[in-house]
Amino acid sequence: MAKPGKDSGWGNPIVYVAALLLIGLMLGPVLYIILGGFRTNSQITVDPAGLPHPWEFGNYTDVLTSETFWRQVGNSTIVAVATTVGVVVLGVMASYVLARYRFRGRGAMYALFAAGLMFPVTVAITPLYILVKNLGLVNTLPGVILPQIAFGLPTTIIILVPFLQAIPKEIEEAAAIDRCSRLGFFWRMVLPLSVPGLITVGILAFIGSWNSYLLPLFILNNQDTFTLPLGVQAFASQYSVDTAKVLAFTSLSMIPALVFFSLFERRIVGGLTGAVKG
Amino acid sequence: MAPNRTLAVAAVLALSSLSMAACGGDDDKDSSGGNVTMQLWENATTGPGKAFWDKTAADFHTAHPNVTIKIQAVQNEDLDGKLQTALNSGSAPDIFLQRGGGKMAAMVEAGQLKDITEDITAETKQAVGDAVLKAGQVDGKAYAVPTSILPGGLWYSKDLFKKAGITSPPATLAELTDAVGKLKANGTPIALGGKDAWPAAHWYYFFALRACSQATLDATAKSKTFDDPCWTKAGEDLKTFADTKPFNDGFLTTSAQQGAGSSAGLVANHKASMELMGAWDPGVIASLTKDTKPLPDLGYFPFPAVPGGQGDPAAIMGGADGYSCSAKAPKECTDFLNYLLTKDVQEAYYKGFNSLPVNKAAQGAITEDYLKAVLDAYNKAPYVSQWLDTLYGQNVGNALNIGVVNLLAGKGDVAGIIKAVNDAAKKG
Amino acid sequence: MSSNFGGKRAVVTEDAAGRRVRGGSGADTPPPLRPRRRGIGWAQRLEIAALSGPAILMFVGFVIFPVLLAAYYGFYRWKGFGVPTNFVGLDNYVTILQDSSFHEALQHNGLIVVLSILLQGPVAVGLALLLNQRLRGQSIIRVLIFVPYVISEVIVGTAWSLMLQTNGAVNDALKSIGLGSLSEDWLANPKLAIWTLMLILTWKYVGFAVILFLAGMQNIPEELSEAAAVDGASYWQTQRRITLPLLAPTIRIWAFLSIIGALQLFDLVYIIWGQYVASTAGTSTMATYMVTEGRNAGNYGYGNAVAVVLFAISFVIALVYQRFVLRRDTQGALTEGQ
Repeated sequence: MAKPGKDSGWGNPIVYVAALLLIGLMLGPVLYIILGGFRTNSQITVDPAGLPHPWEFGNYTDVLTSETFWRQVGNSTIVAVATTVGVVVLGVMASYVLARYRFRGRGAMYALFAAGLMFPVTVAITPLYILVKNLGLVNTLPGVILPQIAFGLPTTIIILVPFLQAIPKEIEEAAAIDRCSRLGFFWRMVLPLSVPGLITVGILAFIGSWNSYLLPLFILNNQDTFTLPLGVQAFASQYSVDTAKVLAFTSLSMIPALVFFSLFERRIVGGLTGAVKG
Repeated sequence: MAPNRTLAVAAVLALSSLSMAACGGDDDKDSSGGNVTMQLWENATTGPGKAFWDKTAADFHTAHPNVTIKIQAVQNEDLDGKLQTALNSGSAPDIFLQRGGGKMAAMVEAGQLKDITEDITAETKQAVGDAVLKAGQVDGKAYAVPTSILPGGLWYSKDLFKKAGITSPPATLAELTDAVGKLKANGTPIALGGKDAWPAAHWYYFFALRACSQATLDATAKSKTFDDPCWTKAGEDLKTFADTKPFNDGFLTTSAQQGAGSSAGLVANHKASMELMGAWDPGVIASLTKDTKPLPDLGYFPFPAVPGGQGDPAAIMGGADGYSCSAKAPKECTDFLNYLLTKDVQEAYYKGFNSLPVNKAAQGAITEDYLKAVLDAYNKAPYVSQWLDTLYGQNVGNALNIGVVNLLAGKGDVAGIIKAVNDAAKKG
Repeated sequence: MSSNFGGKRAVVTEDAAGRRVRGGSGADTPPPLRPRRRGIGWAQRLEIAALSGPAILMFVGFVIFPVLLAAYYGFYRWKGFGVPTNFVGLDNYVTILQDSSFHEALQHNGLIVVLSILLQGPVAVGLALLLNQRLRGQSIIRVLIFVPYVISEVIVGTAWSLMLQTNGAVNDALKSIGLGSLSEDWLANPKLAIWTLMLILTWKYVGFAVILFLAGMQNIPEELSEAAAVDGASYWQTQRRITLPLLAPTIRIWAFLSIIGALQLFDLVYIIWGQYVASTAGTSTMATYMVTEGRNAGNYGYGNAVAVVLFAISFVIALVYQRFVLRRDTQGALTEGQ
């Protein structure tokens, strides 16, 4: 990529202003959510665009000190990490097959996975529940993890296949010359080279799992197993919703997913530079 | 065939047979040696409502030491979906919230509810009255007991009415239109949660209650078509009223109860003067006021009389929350249902949910004067109809609700409502 | 879907700069040390089975099988309780195709598909180009752009619907800075609502596109732009002639995911507009139609039939897309050689 060393002089101020404007637009609603947690429902109705007045810390402190919240964070983390690992591992193996082997039925296999993207989950939920129940996994975290892995495979494979195809044949030939088997090639060369792609799909899988509501809603009954999105239910009583508390709760729930993203996003830009030289 | 395709086919077969094979009854009830455990699904996930259920289950256990009741609180909006899935997979709870109407009829048809006609005790029948128990019946057989009645009407702010110079609640449509004019001048119109459609549709239901005779309402439950001219008259009455623009700005995107910014929130914070709602409204409004305490100047008056209709001007419309036993529930389930309707439990129910109990003796414990006003209107009514979307089933109810929203938004007309309802029959 | 991967066997060359081949010809070289023969050996078959087996098993079991069962329900009129007994064959499908509400929803989906690509694509490419340079605070900016994607759809919907209500934060803020005349009924005005929806969608999903493009840019060797700089190309020329064409395959994949996502759009519309007002405001989609007329109306058979129709439409569009757009990726779109 062009190194801005020489022409960073005049380009940068405009770039920075544009970036700042953009960030303002992006973050406006997020600020609304965070600040909303510091207000009461009445404040939100009466003065929609105002700042908290007075600042209501009760919503945030109630959430942070409640043991249910932390248990839900734990459950969500277990489910999200397991889903991410499962999706990435199974996804990269299947993508490798699709990208670098040639066999009859390859097109059909790709079509099979792509087709999974096209069916709305809201409809599949009823037969899926029956299946999970017959596997004895209702009300358990694996009962949520396994279907989530399955539903995460199509996007993962669609994104990873081009990444794996882009690895030059020269590397594969070189590995073959060195008497490296195809599997060895996969393990030693393909995986490290496809790290940006893996990180990308890993992040997408983690966030998808973190925010997933419908599947855990149907599978999990016992409140001890609830994940964070289900925890919002506690603030919706029979006939009404405590909006301010919901905003506080969700502000806090966002944080782990953001932390995960910021830890890993550097690796996306790690790159393949210099991987193949001469 | 490439190996992966064979594998795929094998997998489908394997997993299908696995799931089909085990599709029998899943018995996680322990009924050996006289010890019975039952699952109860209800929709109060927080606050005094939840506390009520915890206490009631504990008290029942004290009275019947061999019976344990496990409570599952499911958020109101999600309850129906979860319940339907559970019923279909054979792992239904023993006792669960029953909305009644078309949904209950569908469950009965699928054989998923226990017939409890014989199990309702004579004491219960006497304490509650046969009229109320009808809400839990399908074709004369009982499948649910109602635990609370929620009649509808107009909930208003006495202070705002006084400020606008209205001395007594309107008794006729003309008086209402007049009052709204004055209230709008003060910037406090009628609140309407149009986004959820049913609050808007409730206006239509009440106009229909005034325009159509009781016989017509009942007959339509069977025919599911709106051919009688009274339905059109109801639509025209609504349109005339709506043309005076009585509702809050942006009512199409105001929700009914979902927290801040809802129509209940508007009333709670004196930005609107009244709304047409069921008897759950005081509780909702209380949670949205500045100090989350009940609104001190809240009042109630029944829907006014509308000229030219075949319905009785004092008739009232309302819903009933009730509980059913699933088909496979043990007999202790009906014992619990009868227990729910005893005086003490009903009084506790009223205190927990701030809604009208069905047990007549328990009704004496009501203190709030707006609830007393509701009870009064309810007892004086010559007949009570259930909400039309409950009565006619979700399919027709949905189409009806959408038709009304289209009318109020100016996108459709009265004939459109009739057509939407008649068309709905094709889909379900 | 046609089997386009691997395509034609392209000529492999190496030039001085070690240029890589972009596209799908990676799998065609017969391995030099293995006996040449037609078809693939058992060792390969075993590898294929071992590598792809677990994924296929999970997928077929948890996704395909429920989908097939749901499709089966589409042939019935079913209230959702008990076993379906009222077989109506294709009646549900006929009703769907004749329903004007469905036609409206289909139109809305079409508009959303097109606008999503037109609005998000250029913005995301611009952002990705921006963020691929070494800027101060680059990491933080990346995180901040991605934040909307991280927030669950339910909360995005709740927050935006609160803000965009007629008496909500946006109109209130406009009034307080004196621009009260600009306040509108953002959500219920049929002329505006669809644009409001596009704004929210762009806000939420541009981060997803940026991430994909950033990752895709990592496949582009720096040597190319260095060589171009040596040849005297300006920054923009480099982007236009080198980066963008090499990014094109990633863009095409993103567009595919975006199209399918737009066709399936449900959560945001449902949370903000609810199931009733969506059609009045002009933002109903096929998926909200499915839930309104299906699950919420107690017509489970009908709802499942709508899901099958939605699937069929998505599938056809995907096939067409594969054939005409993605096929380019597999025929050595880049000219290699000297």
